[in-house]
Amino acid sequence: MSSVKQEYNDRPTDSRIEWLRTEVWESYAPYLLIAPAIVFLLSVVAYPILETFRLSLYQSPTNSPVETYVGVEHYVTILQSEIFYQLLWQTGRWVAVSVMLKTVLGLLIAVHLNQEIAGRKFFRTAFLIPWGIPYAISAVVFRWIHHPQYGSLNAILLELGLISSPIGVLGNPSTAWFGAVLADVWIGTPFMAIIFLAGLQSIPDDLYEAAAIDGAEWWHQFRYITLPQLKSVILIATLLATIWTFVSFDVIWTMTRGGPMNSSATLVIWIYRVAFDQGSLGEAAAYSVIGFAFLLVFAVLYLRLYTRGGESL
Amino acid sequence: MTHNNPGDGDGRINRRQMMSLFGAGGAVAIAGCIGGDDPRSSDGDIQFLTMGVGDNIEEFFEENNAAFEEEYDVELDFTSVTWDNAQSTLNTRVDGGEAPDVSRLPARWIPEFAGKEALVPLDEMMEGEFGDRFYEGLVESNYYDGHYYGAPWAQSNKCLYYNKDVFEEAGLDPEDPGLDTWDDMLEAAIEIRDNASTSAYGLPANAALETGSQYYHYHWSFGADLVDDGSPVVNSDEGVEALSFYSDLVQDHEITQPSPLSSSRQDVRRLFENGDLGMVIAHVYAGLNIEDSDQDFDYGIVQVPEGPAGRYNLSTVDSLVIYTQTENEDLARDLFRFYYDEERRFEYSQSKGFLPVLESVADRDFFTEDENWAPFVEASEYARSRPKIPSFNEFNNRVVTAIQEAVGGEKSAQDALDDAQADLEEILE
Repeated sequence: MSSVKQEYNDRPTDSRIEWLRTEVWESYAPYLLIAPAIVFLLSVVAYPILETFRLSLYQSPTNSPVETYVGVEHYVTILQSEIFYQLLWQTGRWVAVSVMLKTVLGLLIAVHLNQEIAGRKFFRTAFLIPWGIPYAISAVVFRWIHHPQYGSLNAILLELGLISSPIGVLGNPSTAWFGAVLADVWIGTPFMAIIFLAGLQSIPDDLYEAAAIDGAEWWHQFRYITLPQLKSVILIATLLATIWTFVSFDVIWTMTRGGPMNSSATLVIWIYRVAFDQGSLGEAAAYSVIGFAFLLVFAVLYLRLYTRGGESL
Repeated sequence: MTHNNPGDGDGRINRRQMMSLFGAGGAVAIAGCIGGDDPRSSDGDIQFLTMGVGDNIEEFFEENNAAFEEEYDVELDFTSVTWDNAQSTLNTRVDGGEAPDVSRLPARWIPEFAGKEALVPLDEMMEGEFGDRFYEGLVESNYYDGHYYGAPWAQSNKCLYYNKDVFEEAGLDPEDPGLDTWDDMLEAAIEIRDNASTSAYGLPANAALETGSQYYHYHWSFGADLVDDGSPVVNSDEGVEALSFYSDLVQDHEITQPSPLSSSRQDVRRLFENGDLGMVIAHVYAGLNIEDSDQDFDYGIVQVPEGPAGRYNLSTVDSLVIYTQTENEDLARDLFRFYYDEERRFEYSQSKGFLPVLESVADRDFFTEDENWAPFVEASEYARSRPKIPSFNEFNNRVVTAIQEAVGGEKSAQDALDDAQADLEEILE
């Protein structure tokens, strides 16, 4: 590098200006070219995050037009409140169970749809339908299914003699969250299935043929060929599903509003309630920042786990 | 980078790309959580925002808005949002400097918006000839911190409906149901529980506002209060007695529909309108709905029962307000004068099922002679509003959690209210 520069330095002055110009252009041109994209990203990604963080340091009470700086007071209040830990547990439970069910069911459906079965095209389309229906509408339908008086769930259970009087899944603090999970799984499974199906189709058939010749059973083929080959797809899909489920609002809000007794509320439901029901934007922003931090930590740990030993995704 | 095939070993995503993907997702999530949209659709001369304009009233607004535009030679930008979104829409618009010129809102939100200095005081109007035409109690519900901030737009209260067919099946006298006190109501309900095929009493306990609005009848009529001189007083002896009585309806007497905690106000109303419930406390439109439907059961309407300390009827008043951000205050006042025309108010109350706010309209035979309307006009005598505190929603949510805990059998009424009282003291600090 230095010898090249030396060579340039030996040239007459006008060439040196020329050289400088080229040097500057070559150094800055890439930045100039990507500047619009950076401005765009900063405005839609960085600004909302920073603004949320700024807002979380202010008191924005219901009865005052003025924002008052309160520092980390909101964070202290939140961390000292019982409801926060209840929300953490409920959010974790909601995400873990929902994502796990979506992944397992999605995988089962994908494996089935990847085989030569009658009506395969029909089923592939049919399985996508739940994903295409707006979340809130699906949630309303599920609310009706769970309805103690008019819902089909109770009608079936009563008919089968499994219960003697109607039960209200969404009215019971210990089951309400699971009622919402069922709806969320119904809505979200098709996405997982389609992504997994695409992954399955990219696995070369000769791997299975070779395994079959070696005498590998179906289960062994699944365990030693399908799963490892699908690893990166499963990772992406579950990461996305986790983020979506974590921030999912429509289903819980439409079905239970986080109740009864806040038993089905997650962090996101609480953020909405604090911001718009109780009118405290500052505290809601603090909850948002905490939620964001959790997702960040989760993503980093998740990626660490899967990229251990220098292996890329 | 090409990444056509998610399962392809070559199409791998590295850590940095993953993080940027995640960052965008997170930012959208956060922005989605607390950000607001801008619902201002077009810039007419005046913006009028209201809530819950359904099929039965859409035509009324279409016609009258057009008439207003013609009469004043202006453009009216009329928006209706759902009740679910109403408070967040108004808050977002006011905070974002995009308030409508005029809107409807429940009077209990006035302290919140007046506190933000978002509402124009309407003292001159409400203390003058314009204000004299309303029921006095309704005008007072718009009074906060020394000023009148709104004009009553609609009011609603509740009565006790009973299904005469169910009463007959249970061996009760449908024409003289004797439902004067809560104990009378309980006795009748026990008879229905034992002798009829439907649930006796509809008790909604799922969502916040309506759970409170049903229970407060009991709370007040047992002599308890919610707030006294700015401090919470929910766990008084009378309050505990009221909530014990209320939760016993579910826990001990089992006279309600199954799973009250999953029932909303609409759920129990629908049960009654379908003939599947013996009694329910509901608005005037429950009766109007039954009339319009092809249901063939008979029903009666009586006043909400009396407790040891008297009879109270939760009255909800919605108001029309002008926002301080308006640049058309005069035109906004014209819109008021236009929509408070007596004939328009009559047409509105009649079609929507809200009680009239103008005395001259309420005095009309249509309301006083009709068996669906008359009990509700009479119920105004027992009217009582929710307390006027800026953080009413937060307050109410906490009380409702206590009601749910008692009704669901999680805590005794005493424990539920004691815990609520402790939290409410912090909220109202």
